[in-house]
Amino acid sequence: MMPKGYISFIFHAHLPYVRHPEHQQSLEEKWFFEALTECYIPMLRVFHEMADDNIDFAITFSLSPTLLAMMEDPFMQERYTAYLAGLQQLARKEEKRTAGDSRFAPLTQMYRERLDYAAYLFNEKYGRRLVNAFRDLQDIGKVELITAAATHGYLPLLAVQKEAAYAQLVTGIDNYRRIFGKTPRGIWLPECAYDPVLEEMLGELGLQYFITATHGVLYASPRPKYGVYSPILTPGGLAAFGRDPETSHQVWSAKEGYPGDYVYREFYRDIGYDLELDYIGEHLHPAYLRGNTGFKYYSITGPDNHKEVYNRQHALQKAREHAANFKFNREKQVEYYGGVMDRPPLLVAPYDAELFGHWWFEGPQWVDSLCRLLHGQNNLEMITPGQYLDRGYTLQLSTPNISSWGDKGYHEVWLNDKNDWLYRHLHHAAERMTALATAHPQAEGVQEEALTQLGRELLLAQSSDWPFIMTAGTMDRYAKARLGKHLERFMALEQQIRENNVDVPWLRAISATDNLFPHLDYRIFQSMESTVPVENKYEDLAGIR
Amino acid sequence: MRSDAIEGLTAAEKLPSSYGEDRLVLLTRDPYWLFAYWEVTPESRKQLEIEGRRAWEHLNLALRVTRYDTDMDKEEGCFHIPINHTVDNWCIEAGVPDRYYKVDLGVQIADRGFVSLLCSNIVKTPRDQISDVIDENWRLPDWQARRLYRRIARGNPSSLEMAIRGGGSAHLERSDGHDA
Repeated sequence: MMPKGYISFIFHAHLPYVRHPEHQQSLEEKWFFEALTECYIPMLRVFHEMADDNIDFAITFSLSPTLLAMMEDPFMQERYTAYLAGLQQLARKEEKRTAGDSRFAPLTQMYRERLDYAAYLFNEKYGRRLVNAFRDLQDIGKVELITAAATHGYLPLLAVQKEAAYAQLVTGIDNYRRIFGKTPRGIWLPECAYDPVLEEMLGELGLQYFITATHGVLYASPRPKYGVYSPILTPGGLAAFGRDPETSHQVWSAKEGYPGDYVYREFYRDIGYDLELDYIGEHLHPAYLRGNTGFKYYSITGPDNHKEVYNRQHALQKAREHAANFKFNREKQVEYYGGVMDRPPLLVAPYDAELFGHWWFEGPQWVDSLCRLLHGQNNLEMITPGQYLDRGYTLQLSTPNISSWGDKGYHEVWLNDKNDWLYRHLHHAAERMTALATAHPQAEGVQEEALTQLGRELLLAQSSDWPFIMTAGTMDRYAKARLGKHLERFMALEQQIRENNVDVPWLRAISATDNLFPHLDYRIFQSMESTVPVENKYEDLAGIR
Repeated sequence: MRSDAIEGLTAAEKLPSSYGEDRLVLLTRDPYWLFAYWEVTPESRKQLEIEGRRAWEHLNLALRVTRYDTDMDKEEGCFHIPINHTVDNWCIEAGVPDRYYKVDLGVQIADRGFVSLLCSNIVKTPRDQISDVIDENWRLPDWQARRLYRRIARGNPSSLEMAIRGGGSAHLERSDGHDA
């Protein structure tokens, strides 16, 4: 029986490449470790438990290539193991400290149990290869994994050189294939940033769909008959799925969104700030910098600084209520749209994965409750974009609008007076990369090594994270330093290659630090005018035989 | 601050101010604004000084912004923005969504008008509202279309500016992926 409507949850998981072997500990690597501990592992736990309980659910997860590269990096795995062991040790210390205190002891126990589970899942069950936990879920058909652009480059602003955008896309796809053994069906365009100039490339790469902001599809032309409640077919032959504004509002809205409920856990009160340095210092940065440990014992409570102790049972009850409320509202929504559409409406609900568990501590339990409520009923069916396409609905041909999911909906977050200066350098570097890759189609030995590393430095400089952080203004020195570092390395190496004078020990040193995408082929940067797609080359060969 | 971060910051500050190439690049920011950056080599400066019969600092430099229709079939008009010889980038209020734009950097010369030196790539501004183009095979009856779009517009979080300019309905709370 056909459901009254569909809902597609898409969790976008991304972090910039923040691997810093040159430091004993780095604040930026901690972003990655915290995301693993507080978001990805709790989400995986929820998904695996639901699968064990035979719950019907369908979730889409986009895993950015930089995130996957860090998950697969032995050095980062080693560091994460040590990080986790340190937190487990802190948990035991906390259990001792709070023993007998009926308000805090249950909370320290909760954290210890969560950390023990994380260590079990990471070290024992998956032998440090968390990507396999995702792969298992994909293999049993519960989760659809999609890719993103290589280093999360902001494609519309890079596409001044088509080769630069192409290299971002093709690296994202190649990386996915090597890890998951198949071609991704969909791609997360970084920041949902879309421009029709990308169509030709997207169409050539064998992808089937991407996600846009609401007005990416809503303002498409010709006007989409079903608004954002059905995907459209783009000129490149892909399906574009537009974000449903109501689902995002209910979760994200600062005023009315679920995560701000007063019984939920407060993010900003952490023992890393609250306890004496003598006690907590050894679990902070070596310089004893105050910071988050993840042990947070208070609820949001209210708008001011007064905070009550967190009550886990009340918070979980609230997460269940919010899941039921969400389900109720979605059912009303599909009933409404069902009344004007001749097919079941599809609600597309993409979120930053990090919201769930990291910012909104109870987020994974909300997802769990929601999936269990939706299980086995016919009003609203969970579906992935790929599964939706398999249902065979005819799609309207239309060109999406230029758009992003950033503030104000277009490119301003990544192009304003705090960051517009960097495009001059990124465009110039991309032009040099294409010139060198085109001039050396058959490089070998050190030259090939150097050209490949040149490609890596360019990709790393292109992360959308750097201009985003500059706009946000919180870690802008780090963003500026990273951009400066990669561009400096790029320019020095570019000159060495041009002058046929590569400093090999230095090349090996930067290759060991900026080591992502081990299979990168620098030829992907070659000029599009002077090359033919690989498939055509093979066809030509077949013709000769 | 750590030493490598300081090195990186220094590297960012030491990025070249020029690459020795004439170039003018145009980027789209939103339905109303464009951003252009450029570099003029000393050789090209000299050439312009000869044409304008003045030193670079005294030339009437300008950007000429040309607008084309939504299909890039015909030119709709152009306007000039005077610029100072010390700047090398500009935020351009283009003003019209869903149009193609091209920018020239050049000089205003008394008896010859605008003489172009550099020409940009062509970009398009996004639409800021629902498309007027309707595919007859994909048309909802008007009352249904109204029902559909009225509700979407109520919760549309996409663009504050769009809603203000487009006179959209009032509920405008921001709720994109990066606000949390």
